[in-house]
Amino acid sequence: MLRVTLQIIGLLLLLLATTIITLRLAHQDADGPSILFPGGALISGTLYNGPEPDWRFTDDIPIIELQLEDPLSSRRIFVMESDGKVYVPSGYMRSLLGRIWKEWAFSAEAGDGLAVARIDGIRYQRRLIRVTEPDVIAGVAAKLAQKYAGGATPETVAEVSQSVADGDTWIFEMAPRLR
Amino acid sequence: MRTKNYLLLCAAAVACWSLALLYIPAFADTVEQLMLLFLSTNAG
Repeated sequence: MLRVTLQIIGLLLLLLATTIITLRLAHQDADGPSILFPGGALISGTLYNGPEPDWRFTDDIPIIELQLEDPLSSRRIFVMESDGKVYVPSGYMRSLLGRIWKEWAFSAEAGDGLAVARIDGIRYQRRLIRVTEPDVIAGVAAKLAQKYAGGATPETVAEVSQSVADGDTWIFEMAPRLR
Repeated sequence: MRTKNYLLLCAAAVACWSLALLYIPAFADTVEQLMLLFLSTNAG
């Protein structure tokens, strides 16, 4: 019985490893990410070249694609507009799984943060800047709670703000590159 | 199950699983959704 149990566990672990390796390899050079696995450079879509957009249009967009230039990889991510600026979050930053899953955020903070966001088929060249100022975080937390946590109640906003203050959630502004 | 048969089963399962992930997008999406659910629940 023990032998059969170990064989079943072994087979399940093998299938998990197969899934991770297969999907990772299948998407690493793709034009954009999959649900969970990073993709390659965002190639398709018009490159935006104009004045700073009114980012409030992202209120109706739950997920965008975000590509870092170094290392070159892309992923799907939440997006929030607050006070005319646009932000992306990265959660689980203090957990072991988070450190593996959200490796891109560490790279963005440590490097130059150059990024490309593809939203509704339009590519925007941006620079990721981690923000921690409480007054900025308050607005972003309200929008994050409103869009993704069922509503901007005082409790959910406080919960998100505390998560940012504790370093569990990182917030990046997608700033223009010329700043 | 004898070791030889078990290894054959593993090889067949890996081959079928990989092909399904690569060529059946809905299957790959479902697997990824389940993995995302697991990570969202346990990464904290």
